Amino acid sequence: MPASRPEIKAPRPRLPLLNPSNNHTFIQPTKRINDGQDIANFLTSEAYHDIVTFLMQLNASMFPTVIPTPEGEKNHIQTWEAGTNAVVFSNTVLKLKVLLEDLEGIIAEAPPDQGPRRFGNISFRKWYQIVESRLPELLKRNLPAQVRSFHQDGQDETSPVIELESYLLGAFGSAQRLDYGTGHELSFLAFLGGIWKLNGFATTDPGVEERGIVLGVFVPYLSLVRRLIKTYSLEPAGSHGVWGLDDHSFIPYILGSAQLSPPITKLEELPSEGSLPGAPDPAAVVKALIVERERHRNLYFDAIGFIYDVKKGPFWEHSPILYDISGVPGGWAKINKGMIKMYNAEVLSKFPVVQHFPFGSLFQWQQDPHAMPPPVSAHISSQPARASPSSAQAGYASAREPVQEGTRAPWAQPTSMGRPPMAATAAPWSRHPDRTGLGTGSTHNRGIARDVDAQAQSSGDIVGTRAPWAK
Amino acid sequence: MSDLDRAIAQLRACRPIPEPQVRELCYKARELLIEEGNVVGVDAPVTVRIHTIPALRLALMNGLQICGDIHGQFHDLMELFRVGGDVPETNYLFMGDFVDRGFYSLESFLLLLCLKVRYPDRITLIRGNHESRQITTVYGFYDECLRKYGSANVWRYCCEVFDYLALGALVMGASNTLGTSTSTSTNESGTQLTEEEEIEIEILNSAGDVMSRIPRSMAASSDNHETVNSSPLSETSRGAPARSGPVGTGATSDSLGSVGNPGGAVLCVHGGLSPLVETVDKIRLLDRKQEVPHEGPMCDLLWSDPDEIEGWGLSPRGAGFLFGADIVKLFNHRNNLSLIARAHQLVMEGFKEMFDASIVTVWSAPNYCYRCGNVAAILELTEDGSNGGYIPRANGDVNRTGDLLGPVAAGGQISGPGRRYRVFEAAPQDSRGMPAKKPVADYFL
Ligand SMILES: [Mn+2]
Repeated sequence: MPASRPEIKAPRPRLPLLNPSNNHTFIQPTKRINDGQDIANFLTSEAYHDIVTFLMQLNASMFPTVIPTPEGEKNHIQTWEAGTNAVVFSNTVLKLKVLLEDLEGIIAEAPPDQGPRRFGNISFRKWYQIVESRLPELLKRNLPAQVRSFHQDGQDETSPVIELESYLLGAFGSAQRLDYGTGHELSFLAFLGGIWKLNGFATTDPGVEERGIVLGVFVPYLSLVRRLIKTYSLEPAGSHGVWGLDDHSFIPYILGSAQLSPPITKLEELPSEGSLPGAPDPAAVVKALIVERERHRNLYFDAIGFIYDVKKGPFWEHSPILYDISGVPGGWAKINKGMIKMYNAEVLSKFPVVQHFPFGSLFQWQQDPHAMPPPVSAHISSQPARASPSSAQAGYASAREPVQEGTRAPWAQPTSMGRPPMAATAAPWSRHPDRTGLGTGSTHNRGIARDVDAQAQSSGDIVGTRAPWAK
Repeated sequence: MSDLDRAIAQLRACRPIPEPQVRELCYKARELLIEEGNVVGVDAPVTVRIHTIPALRLALMNGLQICGDIHGQFHDLMELFRVGGDVPETNYLFMGDFVDRGFYSLESFLLLLCLKVRYPDRITLIRGNHESRQITTVYGFYDECLRKYGSANVWRYCCEVFDYLALGALVMGASNTLGTSTSTSTNESGTQLTEEEEIEIEILNSAGDVMSRIPRSMAASSDNHETVNSSPLSETSRGAPARSGPVGTGATSDSLGSVGNPGGAVLCVHGGLSPLVETVDKIRLLDRKQEVPHEGPMCDLLWSDPDEIEGWGLSPRGAGFLFGADIVKLFNHRNNLSLIARAHQLVMEGFKEMFDASIVTVWSAPNYCYRCGNVAAILELTEDGSNGGYIPRANGDVNRTGDLLGPVAAGGQISGPGRRYRVFEAAPQDSRGMPAKKPVADYFL
């Protein structure tokens, strides 16, 4: 049966490694996304391409795998649950695990402040400061030697560690705003991707080291982050309230739905429908007992479990988007595909989320020559970022007169679900695999439009609404 | 039963009303709101002046309930009405942020709007920073309307109403001492009467039980052991003369200052002050019928926060300003205000007085966003009972209850109107049935 599957021509791309025998110039990463219009540039940048490639690589690795057996015997299906001993952690993975444990240990040195407070606990700043001061030492101890001493240009002092440090430091929330959100999660992904590019991870068959990264590093990262959120009452960065997917996280929903998707024989051919036989029903997210049982091995249910930990109230009410998704026909693979599209539109294409992402030599602001240019569209002209004084007025006008050329407000032509109709243009995802497997970032222009128009999430924490036009 | 009453009944059951009805409601609301000034004048309590029907008198004992952010927490809004008293028997002033973040912004806002149209003199709605097109597209209300109606029409109707909401309210005639709590303190007999103590602050739980009382002069109270009472004298002064006919003539506002009320008026505004607004009259001159601007006086009133600073500071929100005690005190003095009541910031205890009780934050969304673990509060101001409206009592617990006063500003001489805070928790949730799943966003098709 598996033998009859069609062969797929191109192997799934892995994030390319830098050649250690070439000189490489490292630079201190800096902020490049300064207003909504820069999002279009980001979506065609080298950095975007690399991030998406790496994420898709991790995603594919978590699909259960069909292990071929001799003729006549039933094929064995290997799943990649948290805690499985089928995934062997490389040295690098083990060291990064230790690094995260060290960071977690620092919580004891910065106990939450007991005094009167509004919500977020200011002792998080202390934790952050200690981390900041110890990070060089911790990275020295826990990064592989080949990463730390990656071939550098003679005259430049900047080391690869400087770049990695800035992504790691950005991965635990904002000390100033006492919040945590998907932008910080993205920063951790870049930290891991950076180590990958610097040849820091073990060289393995496709998927093998990736699984170690997910289960050995990303899972402990999530548990550290959740401990920080609980200990210091970190607010959701960019909260839509109940109308967002999750207050803090996104990637666990991608990787967790992959874990429950149908088994595959090759990483190249990810199914877009169906579920692993015996997988819990997506509708089980409302069943506390099942969530409790599954959260220890599955990232999706782990994230749901954390929602139950911190929120009180009916699930469908405080998490209506996840509730609706739990009714998606088509199984976990369908959910996985949808999550990836949604991540592209609601995280990577959102100015408020990615605006703090710094660009250096590992993740470059430079344009990806293979990226398709984003189509010129009305949204560019309707961005309030640059049109501050008149934008309120423009919004007012166009809300009354929905079909105004040029200044079309994002709500002028809403989709039935109020989500940008990014996928309506033709979903390049998986069907027309491009270089990244996620799409070129050019088909979700209206998604960007809406987000850009609504930049409030920059730190729209639940406790204090931030102005959308604030930088 | 009129259409409006039917709509109210439907919304009270947490069921949205049909789109054409929303359209009509919003039209009527705008017609009504357009007549209001930027700063609405409210008497404390308005009810008394309007309703003199004896049968209602008991219910009318309640004062004016001032409420903070709601953010679509419909069931908690119902709990608020349960705790504060129902409309129209009780007067309400909501200081904005009805929508966004919660699951029921639509039902919450439309219910309040229906009540406003049905009982225009009983309920006052002022604008919060979330009552704006731009903010609601980001923080959830827009998504909610699309989900519940399949189009943005209702969102658009609501936004048009937002533009007409008043920017502030001025509560006049508030007593500087408190009347008894109707739920616990009346009809008790045989108790000792004392008149030497004036109660300035009272904190009640959701059952109406007094959790703590603070006399105007806390020092003198520790030796007294009088119990809660309701004397004949207080009965008369509170129940009959002060609150019926004569008061309805507008005497309440006349009494402002004339009986030596040190209080002055109470300004209610969603956020706070603006460096561009030195006087309340200046607010009246603004052209408010527009989307909330990104800067300027109107923006500041809806976005600013008090802070432990001197003068003005930049707001971390990116809109409005931070302002210190000196700013508040100068503003209150210049405008003959005894207090500024505002919302806009989560406070774990439901309310927080600052700057020697010259400003208070009232927050009315309990367990905000299902996770903050805070209680909510509403602030009750009662009519000026200048002829002994309240029977003060010190129950000997004053010092002990003083421990409960975390949110109350420390410091000797507190002035301002008598303030009764009703503190409540999130409504019970088990009774809410699970709805059908809605079709998901395009991503999952
Ligand atoms: Mn507000």
